Parts: sequence; C-alpha cells; structure tokens
Amino acid sequence: MQLVRFLRSSIARVTVLHGLVLAASMIAVLAGVYLATARLIATEGDQLLSIEAQSLAEFFHDHDVDAFIGEVAERAEDPWTRGGVYELRNANGDFLAGNVVILPELKPSNSGFTEFEVAVARADTEASRSIRARIQDLGQGYRLLVGHDVQDRQAFRTVMLRSVIWAILVTLLFGAAGGWWLGHRISSTAQAINASAARIAAGNLTERLPLNGSGDEIDTLVARFNDLLARVDTLTTTLRAVLDSTAHDLRGHLNRIRGAAQEASLKATTPEEQQSIQTVLGEIDRLSDTLQGLLRIALAESGTAPLDDVDFSQIAQDLVEFYQPVADEPLVSEITPGLIVRGHRQLLAQSISNLLDNALKYAPHTPVGLRLTREGSIAVLDITDRGPGIPAEQRAYATMRFRRLPGSSGLPGSGLGLSLVAAVARLHQAELKLLDASPGLRVRLSIPLANT
Amino acid sequence: MKILLVEDDRRASEYLTKGLRELGHVVDQAFDGDTGLNAAMTGSYDVLLLDRMLPKLDGLEIVKRMRGVGNDVPILILSALDEVDERVQGLRAGGDDYLAKPYHLEELTARLDALARRKGASGLADKLKIADLEVDARARRVTRAGRKIDLTTREFQLLEFLMRHAGQIVTRTMILEGVWDYHFDPKTNVIDVHISRLRQAIDKDFTVQLLHTVRGAGYTLTDDP
Repeated sequence: MQLVRFLRSSIARVTVLHGLVLAASMIAVLAGVYLATARLIATEGDQLLSIEAQSLAEFFHDHDVDAFIGEVAERAEDPWTRGGVYELRNANGDFLAGNVVILPELKPSNSGFTEFEVAVARADTEASRSIRARIQDLGQGYRLLVGHDVQDRQAFRTVMLRSVIWAILVTLLFGAAGGWWLGHRISSTAQAINASAARIAAGNLTERLPLNGSGDEIDTLVARFNDLLARVDTLTTTLRAVLDSTAHDLRGHLNRIRGAAQEASLKATTPEEQQSIQTVLGEIDRLSDTLQGLLRIALAESGTAPLDDVDFSQIAQDLVEFYQPVADEPLVSEITPGLIVRGHRQLLAQSISNLLDNALKYAPHTPVGLRLTREGSIAVLDITDRGPGIPAEQRAYATMRFRRLPGSSGLPGSGLGLSLVAAVARLHQAELKLLDASPGLRVRLSIPLANT
Repeated sequence: MKILLVEDDRRASEYLTKGLRELGHVVDQAFDGDTGLNAAMTGSYDVLLLDRMLPKLDGLEIVKRMRGVGNDVPILILSALDEVDERVQGLRAGGDDYLAKPYHLEELTARLDALARRKGASGLADKLKIADLEVDARARRVTRAGRKIDLTTREFQLLEFLMRHAGQIVTRTMILEGVWDYHFDPKTNVIDVHISRLRQAIDKDFTVQLLHTVRGAGYTLTDDP
C-alpha cells in the first residue's frame, strides 16, 4: 500500500526521472569521450605501423636481401620487450625471418591492416596477445608483416568501460538523491497546500493556502488561489446572510400568520369554521417544517456548524433504544462501543433518526438492523431493511431535495430526510452509499474517526 | 402569572398577548430592548419572554445584563433564528429556555409554566412523590404503593422528568429535549409509544391513573386531573 502510494507520488516520479536523465546524459558524454579517445589511439598506432613498414621498405630497396633479412631478424628478437612482431616471406612463401607465423593463413593478396591473436609462452603461463599488423608488399614477391601489440588498447577499453559503469552508477545515485530532494521540496509544498485545501473544502472558507514567500511560480499560483478563495468566501458570507435574514423574515411571517389563525380559532363558533382554521394551522406547521428542514440542510452544507469529538457509538445506541418501541420487528443492533468522531451531535443524531425512520416507514413488518463497526480509521454505519429497496437507477436521485420515491406518496415525509443525511455526510467528510441488501436497502455511512 | 413580553414585531406581540391574557395571565409589553430591560429591572415578573433580535438592545444582551446584576427571573428566549447552535448561545448567556418561531401557543405556555414553577419548587430534590408514586432520583428507585417498579434507564429518566414537572403540561418537544436532548422532530409518534410503555409500568395495576394525555398539547403527571 505504502509503496504504491510512494510510486504514485510526485517525489518518486521526479526522483526516477531526474536520475535517468542525469545518467543518460552522462552515458552520452562518456561514450563520446571514449569513442574519440579510442579512435585517436587507433589512428596513432596505425600511423606508427605505417611509418615502420615504410622505413623497412626503404631499407629493402637500399640494401640486398641478406642484409634486409638480418635487419628484420634483429628487430624480431625479444618481441615482448620491444613489442613488435615481424614476418618476412619471399615470392614462394618461404619463411625468411620473423617471430610469428601468420602470413600463410592470410590471403596472399591481403595487404593493409589486419588483427590477430598470438599465443605467447611466458615463464610458465601461456598468454594470448592481440596484435594489429600491417602487411607490406616489398616488390619481387617479398611480403613483410609488421605488427604491434595492442593489448594496451584493450586494457584502455576495459578501464574506460569500467569507469563508464562507475560513472553511471554514481550519477544515478546523485541524480536520484537530487531528484528526491527536489521532489520532496515540491511535494512538501503540495502537501501543505493539500492540507489547507482539505480544510477549506470542509467549509473553513476563512483559511488561506500557505505562501512560502519566495514569489516563485507556485507562490504566484497559490496567491491567485487565495484571491479566488477570498471571493468565494465573500459570496458565501453574503449568501449566508441573505439566507439567514430571509429565514428570519419567513419565520416572523409564519409566526404572525399562526398567531392570527390561533386567535381566529378562539373566536370560531361553528365546527366548520374550526375545521378550516385547523387545516390552516396544519399547513402552517408543514410549511415551517419544510423551511426548518431546508435550513438544517443549508447549515450542514455551509460547513459552519461547530464540530466536537462525539461518541458516535453512544448516539447510535441511544437512537436504537429510542426507536425500539415503535418497530414492528425488534431492531437488531451490533455496535462497536467507543467510536469517537469529529462531529455535530444533533445533526448526526438527526441523520440516524431519519435513516431509521425511513427504514421503519418504507419497510414495515420487516426486521431492521443497525450495525456500527470500525474499519481502520473509519466508523462504518449500516442501516439495513428487508423492504422493497431502491432500484439501482433511482439511487442517485434518492438524496435529492424533495425527491420522493414512487409508491411513497401515501406515507408522511417531506422528501428532505435523505438530503439532510447527504449534507451531514459531506459536513463530516463521510461517504454515504445506498446499497442493495438483496432484498432490501442498506444505507452505509462511513465517517472518519477523530484523531485521538 | 405576571409576564413581561419584549417583542419588536407588534402584530406578533399582540396575538401572543391576547392569547396569554385569554389564559388568565397578566402581560406587559415592551417593543424594544431598552424599554424591555428597564421594565424587567423595575417590575417584578414571574417570567420574561424575550425576542432574540431586538432594536436598540439585543435580546441576548438583556439576558446577560440581568444575570450580571444577579436577577434570576426565569427567561424564555423566543427566536426566529432556530439553529441548535443559536440555542446553545441563548442558554449559555443565561436564558432558561429557548423556543423557535413559529411556535404553538400550547408549547409556549407549557414552557412558561414549567419555568415559573421551577423557581423554589422541588427543582433538584432527590425524593419525588406524587400520590403513592415515589421516585428516589439518587438511588434510581421507583415504588408505587410501596411496590417496587423496574424501569429501564430511559424510562426512569422520562418518569423523573415528568415528576419534576408534576401537575404541569409537558409537550412532546419538551420531553424530546429534556429526556433525550434531541433538538429535531423525529416525525413519528415515538414519544407517545414511550409514554404508553411508562404508563403500563406505573399505572396498569392501579385504579388511580397518574399519567394523562392532554389533547393537542402533551402529557401531565398528576393525581388531580
């Protein structure tokens, strides 16, 4: 889990990317140096060979054959100290002088440069040496091979290769370290922003994202974001004020209407008059209930409701006992005690009340169950009934305001119950899910536990 | 009883005053915070009815000032601001009860009654008694005619609440708030069912019934219906 989260983090990506880019550029540079150096050494070696072959050719022209054979034989002595190999043959291919036997294996016409391995006995061991040689036609069918030991070149190649590997490893290491540092800087900034943003999303619109004071691109972006927040804050405050004063006003009106109706009821003389007045009073009560419901939802959604550490298990337990006497079948509860959440006691209680009330109302004469368990750092509340349930395609609408399910028109209710639960869930950063209990409905509310 | 009503909404004030006078109460009216505070300080009232938002002096401010000088007249705050947290503020400032508009006159009078009688009454006594029903709040013991009655914790709390308001009308909302501390309406008739269970426990085997339903208002525990 943690590894997956790390790999998905920007630190990991920056670390790996930074390491790879550095290593790739290092490989490119070292490869360039290597190729250039190797070519330089090779060219120089070939030039030396050509010069020696040339000087021997001149010697051959200026002297007779025996003197030339002597010269070659002398140069061929102790080849492993002086590093040269020689072989001279005449037109018939007879060996005349030298310290290697290789020419017959090469094609007669072959001239120019060639490379081969020669076994060398040295002390007790036999080693193989790499030789690069030039074959020179001296005229009259004489062929001369002049070669150098190129073991050094290979040693150079090996050293070079080893350094390249080390350099890549070191670069990868430094690259990764640098990347980690860079990523960590970005990531810690992002985390600080993330934490603030979460609190803001939870409804604390007065909070601002932290600036690091450097005035860099991120800082500018954060500052812009803060401006945006200030604007949202102002709008929300204004809206809230409008809502509050409207609600206050409406309640005042309703109160006066109720007062007038009540006064009229005292004066009513006939049962018919009394009946109409009672109808009016009933409608006023329904209207004020709906207003009350909408305002509760607005309160929960504004995120301004004060939260405390509350014992969610106790709240659930109390409500089970509260509804127990009105349930057709005994309520079955399984509650893990002592689950503390950061929450609003009244709104949480009202939500559970709405859910239990719904279950008892829509699934009468069936067993209703309440289960509260802990899953890691989450308190999971399941309220399950064995009623008709809600068809999958209607579940998304069930939490909308004033939305009532088909077939519920005969039952009391304002269509605000589940909307309130949804709003309260958002206030508590909880997840509300309507699930199929086949048969029946299971409402699941998953609330993060308080940090204790 | 003698009531001071401080309410700036004149029409609402008129309706309420008429209603209360109809029930035999003496009502004085004030229409802003300043006059309200003066009247409350100089007159002697059994209970104060205060609107939460008033011109000149805010309702909460009046409560604070009254409590500040040691005046402990019972205060019921009326408000068109009805959120549980507003309510907490009102009670914290020193109010004794809080009722949201629009209210039922029955609800209001039941609460006024409870407030007025609480003063000097058996407010916090441990031993409560009505007819032959006795409740020992500390020992959590209930007996009727000397016979022990077993109740669940919640049933006991409900009975204790009714006993402390014996002879008065208690509304369903008062029971919800006082016994369960629920400040929302559970819609269904849950309270009625709890009451009838309690009635089973304390009244079933006796000829004199103590727990009565008051139609359109609530319940009352009394031996003199």
